[in-house]
Amino acid sequence: MFEARLTQGKVFKQLIEALKDLVQEANIDCTDDEMSIQAMDNSHVALVAVCLRSGGFDHFRCDRPISLGFNATNMGKILKCAGNDDIITLKAEDEGDSLALVFESPSQDRIADFELKLMDIDSEQLGIPDTEYKCTIQMPSGEFQRIIRDMQVLGDTLAISCTKEGVKFHVEGDLGVGNVLIRQNNTAEKEEDRVLIEMEEPVELTFALRYLNFFTKATSLGPTVILSMSPDVPVVVEYPIGETGHIKYYLAPKIDEDED
Amino acid sequence: MMSTSRKRTLDDDLYDESPKHLRGGGGGGYGDDGDDLFNDDDLFEDNLVDHDGPPEPADDVEEDIAFGDITDAHRSRWTRPAVPSSVWKTSENDLNLQWLDIDMIGGSPLAANPNKNKKVLGASSGTVPIIRLYGVNETGNSVAVFIHGFTAYGYFALPRGYEVDGSDGNLGKIRSILEENLRAKLGSQFDKGDNTSNGETPMACLGVTCLSNKQSIMGYDPSHTKFLKVYVAMPGMIPKLKTIMEEGITLPGITNANGQEVRESMIFQPYECNVPYVMRYMIDRDVTGASWLSLPKGTYHLRKNESEKGTHCQIEADICFNEIIPRKPEGEWAKVAPLRILSFDIECQGRKGYFPEAEHDPVIQIANSLSVYGESKGPIVQNVFTLGGCLPIVGAQVISSNTEEDMLLKWRTFLHASDADIFTGYNVQNFDIPYLLDRAAALWKKKDSKLRIFTQWGRVKNCQTRKRETMFQSSAYGRRTNTETTIEGRVIFDMLPYMQRNHKLSSYSLNSVCAEFLSQQKEDVHHSIISDLQNGSDADRHRLAVYCLKDAILPQRLMDKLSVLINYVEMARVTGVPVSFLISRGQQIKVFSMILRKCRDVNLLVPTLKKSGSGGDEGYEGATVLDPIKSYYEIPIATLDFASLYPSIMQAYNLCYSTMLSPQEAAKTDPSMFKRSENGHNFVHSNVKKGILPIILEELLAARKRAKKDMKNAPTEFEKAVQNGRQLALKVSANSVYGFTGAGVGQLPCVPIASSVTSYGRFLLEKTKSYVEEHYTQAHGYEHNAQVVYGDTDSVMVKFGTKTVADTFPLAIEAAKKCSDLFPNPIELEFEKVYYPYLLMNKKRYAGLMWTQIEKYDYMDTKGLETVRRDNCALVREVIQTSLDKIIIERNVPGAIEYVKSQIADLLQNKMDISRLVITKSLNKGAEYALGLGGKAEDYKVKQAHVELAARMRKRDPGSAPQMGDRVPYVIITAAKGAANFEKAEDPIYVLENNIPIDSKWYLTNQLSNPLTRIFEPIIDNVEKSLLQGDHTRKIFIPTPTAKKGSLMMFAHKKATCMGCKASIGVDEGNLCKYCLPKEAEIYLGKLAVLKEAELRYAHLWSEAQRIHGTLHTDIMCTGDGCACQFYRRKKVQADIRLAQEQVDRFGR
Repeated sequence: MFEARLTQGKVFKQLIEALKDLVQEANIDCTDDEMSIQAMDNSHVALVAVCLRSGGFDHFRCDRPISLGFNATNMGKILKCAGNDDIITLKAEDEGDSLALVFESPSQDRIADFELKLMDIDSEQLGIPDTEYKCTIQMPSGEFQRIIRDMQVLGDTLAISCTKEGVKFHVEGDLGVGNVLIRQNNTAEKEEDRVLIEMEEPVELTFALRYLNFFTKATSLGPTVILSMSPDVPVVVEYPIGETGHIKYYLAPKIDEDED
Repeated sequence: MMSTSRKRTLDDDLYDESPKHLRGGGGGGYGDDGDDLFNDDDLFEDNLVDHDGPPEPADDVEEDIAFGDITDAHRSRWTRPAVPSSVWKTSENDLNLQWLDIDMIGGSPLAANPNKNKKVLGASSGTVPIIRLYGVNETGNSVAVFIHGFTAYGYFALPRGYEVDGSDGNLGKIRSILEENLRAKLGSQFDKGDNTSNGETPMACLGVTCLSNKQSIMGYDPSHTKFLKVYVAMPGMIPKLKTIMEEGITLPGITNANGQEVRESMIFQPYECNVPYVMRYMIDRDVTGASWLSLPKGTYHLRKNESEKGTHCQIEADICFNEIIPRKPEGEWAKVAPLRILSFDIECQGRKGYFPEAEHDPVIQIANSLSVYGESKGPIVQNVFTLGGCLPIVGAQVISSNTEEDMLLKWRTFLHASDADIFTGYNVQNFDIPYLLDRAAALWKKKDSKLRIFTQWGRVKNCQTRKRETMFQSSAYGRRTNTETTIEGRVIFDMLPYMQRNHKLSSYSLNSVCAEFLSQQKEDVHHSIISDLQNGSDADRHRLAVYCLKDAILPQRLMDKLSVLINYVEMARVTGVPVSFLISRGQQIKVFSMILRKCRDVNLLVPTLKKSGSGGDEGYEGATVLDPIKSYYEIPIATLDFASLYPSIMQAYNLCYSTMLSPQEAAKTDPSMFKRSENGHNFVHSNVKKGILPIILEELLAARKRAKKDMKNAPTEFEKAVQNGRQLALKVSANSVYGFTGAGVGQLPCVPIASSVTSYGRFLLEKTKSYVEEHYTQAHGYEHNAQVVYGDTDSVMVKFGTKTVADTFPLAIEAAKKCSDLFPNPIELEFEKVYYPYLLMNKKRYAGLMWTQIEKYDYMDTKGLETVRRDNCALVREVIQTSLDKIIIERNVPGAIEYVKSQIADLLQNKMDISRLVITKSLNKGAEYALGLGGKAEDYKVKQAHVELAARMRKRDPGSAPQMGDRVPYVIITAAKGAANFEKAEDPIYVLENNIPIDSKWYLTNQLSNPLTRIFEPIIDNVEKSLLQGDHTRKIFIPTPTAKKGSLMMFAHKKATCMGCKASIGVDEGNLCKYCLPKEAEIYLGKLAVLKEAELRYAHLWSEAQRIHGTLHTDIMCTGDGCACQFYRRKKVQADIRLAQEQVDRFGR
């Protein structure tokens, strides 16, 4: 038996929204201390990892570890029926083939329950091992979203370089060239508006903008985003979700095709 | 210069009485000199006219070079039988031969007629046309016959009512006027060739006669009944003459309808000026294609000295054209001579990454198989010429050479010794032959070696084989570039175009064609491997030689098996054109030949119409298709067919050029004499004047009936197939008569005839429908009301409402008879079959179980389904086929649905064999650009999946990447959202090696969805919901790709999961979670079973592949996607085993 009740139902709603462009089918893995999703996108360039700790739920029960396979589009359709303030409860039997979703309005005067047919997804679990990164940049998630959106107008490959000056985003395309420089700013009034750069050594990497754009779908999940980079390894784009957990995206750097 | 032309007797066929003064002159080769009127017509171009270049320099005349390793033993097996001594007694014996090839050259006239009692015919000086006929006599000796004295001519009509003074004097004047005009047109060409042998000045226009016993074919009451027949020195002058007459000319002695002499220039309509010279000869002398000819004793002369001879044939004869007796192909003369057929194949050593180019890449092997028609023991010689050593091959001669030049020259020696009548092979016309010619030219330029003589393949001495590029465009075959090669005296019969024309297959590779018709396979060796084998040991080259030899033998077997030769000989005899025309030209020439022959019998002449260009495509309404009532019929549906609808309409209503009445004429004619067609054209009844076309059709259909009868009585399945081929050929010929009248750019298009035919067709179909639906009703005492559910062109499908096949038959037979009685003869509605059950999906799309007898069904018949098309993957074909089998044959609709669901489930769970998902497309024109091989950007506008893939593969490994013309196999893999199709195509082998996930959803929505919907729509509601969605789509498998550059897999780690329930577990906890641990043994056995099953599957596939390719000790080289050895399946199982092994290994730790 698995049961989890989330007062802030919209977090779950936004989570699904944030990954459905990247992955069509995935497993929700439930253990007694967390609920997680790991999936690689179809072209094997990006990976998304979601983690919601049991502590973040009002109520969390998981008798034995289970995997719940779902189709993101279909799940999204059902979650459309939930209001932003609703409390969402997920329930599943150990050997069942469906997931029950209960949406309660805050005033408790409306209770809706849905059942989503589950999928049996046979795949291996993949993860990127934690490492020390040479650069870590924390910035407002809205700012990041805007940069990505602006850069996409000009081209499809984005170079991110982190130096003493700050973080430079650079794009080149048929139209022309674009640059955005973000400087360290730890004096802003609101903590979430600050830009914090920790750097051991300068790093420059290039990425496909198409994927970064998919990542910014998670902007609504939190006010800040953390980019972690090291030379020649995937970038991590992390959106912390309050105290409950995070959604992390990994994206492999672009390799020049001529190098082959 | 004054000359008179003698007035001829009314019968212009009395050639013996040819005018004394006929003299010729001028040089040969007029036909070549860009006469646009003649050359713009690809179909009828007189390319048989001599187009030899200047003769080869004398120092090239070096016949055979001696080679030590070509022994007398070799030669004696290669050569034809010796000429019997009786042949040389020309005054005692007739010379009989079956001819195959014909051409024409310019030459000097005969000094004396070999028939001592007669004079020489035709012009006596200058250059005269000589026809060369090549054939084989009964004893298998090659014969060349030089036919002399046949003069080219054309007819020109006088307008209605006009008369010409036919006296010798006046015709002589006309001749000299034409002579002058012709000379002016020919200009310097004519004077240059002034080689008068006896002091006479050569003439261009040889004579003029006047005819009043012939009529034009056009119309019931033709306006042209008086003609001038003009003889010219060379056939190439005819078009010039035609231009002169069409432009208008003033001729003396012509009076108009009022009896006044015409003094101004007037236009004469040309008749039969577009008949190629050799066809003219054949028609006038009643010689049909591939028939037997007799040269009666005492009328011919044999060239006995080698120096006298002009060809390599064993026997060479000179004769005047009127002495030859053509034999009707009946009784004794229906036989086929022991013709020699040479099938060959070459291998080239290409450089890595390039398709072999003659400029750079050597020919390394040539394999040959020589057989004699009628020889039951198979080929008489099989041999391989190799570059470099090669181990002996059982049953074949191996002739090795150290240099390419030597090999080529040895092959030519073989070619001459074997003296084949027919060359065959697979795609020899467009690859092997041009490659050899180009290669020889390249070598000869580089080294100036003896190779200049290599390209002399023909029977004519010192004559190079010529090739030229032709464009072939047709609505049925699309645009193709072909290479046409002329090898004097030998017919090239390529099996690839034959298969493409006559059989509808999903693949035309030699391999799959042979699998289909011979149940034999060959290895598909990619040309990149060939190079490695050639560079290897004698054993490797042996391997290659065996492969090459097989490629040479198979086309020959195919030819025998499908009775291609006999069918073509038959067709040539029926339609009267040379065999080579059947191969290289379209349907029109056959009909044209038949029309000309028939017209000659009844003294009609065919006008030579001006090319109308684009104005010719005057459209008219075609056949009708009745709206289908789509459904799945679980009761018998009877099919009533009109037998040969269009031909029988033409017969029944006497539709022909010669029976047509113009509206004005019709108004003046007795209405009982003609009938107005459904769309308002008038044709007289057959008892008034029988049309030419109906006569031709009658004969063809009578011949077809005989063939059908022979087919029924055929003792073996094989014989049956032969007769079937024959009757089909006749049917095609009969149907092409209608096409001939409707073709916009034809020789004699006549839209009133063609449109009348289709309008009668529509009328008959509608009439049948209404009759059946009115007559077979409950009101008339029948159990049910009949309904016509569908009809197309010449057939209607009727639902009589009866429940069993046995009940349906009598009704259908009766209906067919009653309808036939309504229509004039020979239009006949036939009842042939019942479909039960019958799945009618749309227009021209249906499937049904066919019953031609009450007791049991014949087979499932399908129309317009995806079962053959190749741009679908095999999965689609199989799923469609199996579902139909289940629905139609087993009548198990739930079973079919179950089957489809299980297939979809397998697809989503990656259990599908990848070979079933492979789609292949060939790299055609335009792809060069994408591959960086030149070409223009305009030719490649839309990115195509297979082309982009080929470009990517080229970057990975240029050696094994597909080349231009190759078929590229690909599968569709998953990619980022919104990625275009061309980004998602991937090489199947690469997919297997890297474990890349297949985009199964794409296959579901883009490949399976539409055809499945079409089939199931009439049967179940809401196909989409019940078939394409549902529980069976909820179990999927996402493979983990292997790490490669640029992929996140380079950095990702697999997390330990429980092998039983997939839950994630700690690294140190072993393979199972604590919940699954108790079931450890069970789980292990499960994994072991998977491995064992995969191993077993592999063992089966491997031994099957060994059996197919007949090899036990060597690697299987085949990578063909169409091959039954299942290359991809073998690869896939290897990958499966690897995965299963990994799983099992985990338990060991």
